[in-house]
Amino acid sequence: MASWVAETRDEAERNLASLPALTGQEEDWRFTKPASLGMDGAPLDAPGPSGSPRVGDEAGRAAWLVLDDGRPAAPNVVDLPDGVIVAELSDALTAHEDLVRAHLNSLVGIDSHAGALNAARWDGGLFVYVPRGVHVERPIEAVLTATGAEGRIYGRTLVVLEEGAKATVIDRYVSPDLGGTVQASTVAELVVAQGAELEHMTSVSWGSGVHHHATIAAAAGRDSKVRSVVVTLGGDVVRVEPTLRVVGPGADARALGLFFASDDQHFEHRVVSVHEAPDSYSNLLYKGALKDTSRTVFYGNLIVPPGAPHTDAYQTNRNLILNDGASAETIPFLEIETAEVKCSHAGAVGRVDDEHLFYLRSRGVPEVEAKQLIVLGFLQEVLEMVALEELREELHEAIAAKLTPKVAAS
Amino acid sequence: MADPILDIAGLKVAVDGKEILKGVDLRIPQGEVHALMGPNGSGKSTLAYALAGHPRYDVTGGTVTFNGEDLLDMDPDERARAGFFLAMQYPVEVPGVSVLNFLRTSMNATRGEEISPRDFMKAFKENSALLEFDSSFTDRYLNEGFSGGEKKRHEILQMAMLRPKFAVLDETDSGLDVDALKVVSKGVNALRGPDLGCLLITHYTRILRYIAPDVVHVMFEGRIARTGGPELADHLEENGYVEFGASEMASAPGA
Repeated sequence: MASWVAETRDEAERNLASLPALTGQEEDWRFTKPASLGMDGAPLDAPGPSGSPRVGDEAGRAAWLVLDDGRPAAPNVVDLPDGVIVAELSDALTAHEDLVRAHLNSLVGIDSHAGALNAARWDGGLFVYVPRGVHVERPIEAVLTATGAEGRIYGRTLVVLEEGAKATVIDRYVSPDLGGTVQASTVAELVVAQGAELEHMTSVSWGSGVHHHATIAAAAGRDSKVRSVVVTLGGDVVRVEPTLRVVGPGADARALGLFFASDDQHFEHRVVSVHEAPDSYSNLLYKGALKDTSRTVFYGNLIVPPGAPHTDAYQTNRNLILNDGASAETIPFLEIETAEVKCSHAGAVGRVDDEHLFYLRSRGVPEVEAKQLIVLGFLQEVLEMVALEELREELHEAIAAKLTPKVAAS
Repeated sequence: MADPILDIAGLKVAVDGKEILKGVDLRIPQGEVHALMGPNGSGKSTLAYALAGHPRYDVTGGTVTFNGEDLLDMDPDERARAGFFLAMQYPVEVPGVSVLNFLRTSMNATRGEEISPRDFMKAFKENSALLEFDSSFTDRYLNEGFSGGEKKRHEILQMAMLRPKFAVLDETDSGLDVDALKVVSKGVNALRGPDLGCLLITHYTRILRYIAPDVVHVMFEGRIARTGGPELADHLEENGYVEFGASEMASAPGA
């Protein structure tokens, strides 16, 4: 291992040991218990294997990488343009040292609990590099699984798009329903240079038993387009923290979120955009549905420090409640320190309209299917901003599965 | 006389604990168009919603037999699949659900099998032409941004696509200008035939110039107060609802 890698790991491990323990009293940890996500890094017993997760389908992918319990494995490269690198991240530490060293830990520091924990412990991950002007048409996908054989798993992604490059990258998180608790920690750093275009999807599709803390950080260069799409459907306790740093004028950065919480799932999304350059645009749009006794929290913040005039920044969170007993909290925030900006923020929690349901049912559509139409319709506003077309079908199925009454085991 | 497609006997319905229908008796043979007229608040729309199974409307007594089956025992979607249709007075807007997706889903549900994309588009084009429904609306979301007239046309378009055995048209004429009324009436008349029974609910006689009813009923205070032939509509046109105790006209204002 190169010395810089070891040094970072050691420093991160020291930070983890010296940082004051999180208690849950901290302002940004009010809603999700830090212990439930293993923020102290304490070891956790493995629940034991629970069968194979459904890892999806590599058809239509430019490259595909499966990391079982976060262990390094070689990617399956199907079809990549010249100069594009898709590698397992620990391999890339030596094979593409200069590129990785320039960007790893550049967007997610090691001075927070989550950042230090991941930097100190990760083994395997995804590295994507797209050189100047190159477009990768088909998505590149990494799948992190939890099999139950490990109590804690780590995943790490680094994506670097040079000037004018274009790519779609998917980080998918899957497991079967587990017989106990697995804690997952993931970090994705997305570096998008001038005029480049990245759509990055985080698909949280764990089975029961998984607790997941995910950090996503993107830097959007001049005139770039960045889409972070977070789809949260699975896992018992999930906290996702996407941050968009708008570092170049003319950038268009969007944090899009879709979620559907059921049973007693707990999802927290903390979504931030920081405008470090003038004349740029950001939009945070999170919409989700809730049923059963699930709970969701949205915290959003638009930060416009001094020196970023002509910023356009928007933030919207809407939640659709399907039944009593589910609860959604929405906290849209603004920190504007520049004049001459256009900013708005909105948060809302509403119930499924009985008249909508009746209208659809009066046309013969059964209740479950009618709710499915209503939930998908509610999410449509976000889906319209996502280029990846297959997401619609995927959501359709996931929503149907959540709405279909479970058959009691006899 | 044909068997009744709809047989309502002693129907009592309450809304929020207040009894609105106080024993409605109505028998409609298959293939006939019956007009149900009456002043505001007489219970016409309550009857429409109760027949469709809206959860706010509590049936507190009586029976409804639809095509030989107990209609009141069915969920709203089962009623639709059994061939019952309600064209609503105020169709709601459902965000994010496209018109085409909605039509296809409801067609598949009522038919009980998937319609092929080709047959679906063929039916959609024919019926859109009949109802002069702007085909650019297909990418829009359900009733979103539709004018009042477009919403009503869209209701009758659904009726044309779903081919129900029986349709209740709840004040389909309200808010329509004469041109839109003619188009909607043309659509209903095209669907009229031995396999469609129809209850045409209206406050005003105007629509009955375009859709000739076989029988006219007058509802007042939650009961059928009088039943007659088309001449009863003419009588109401002249005299309004005064003899029923309501000082309302039955001729459309300005018509």
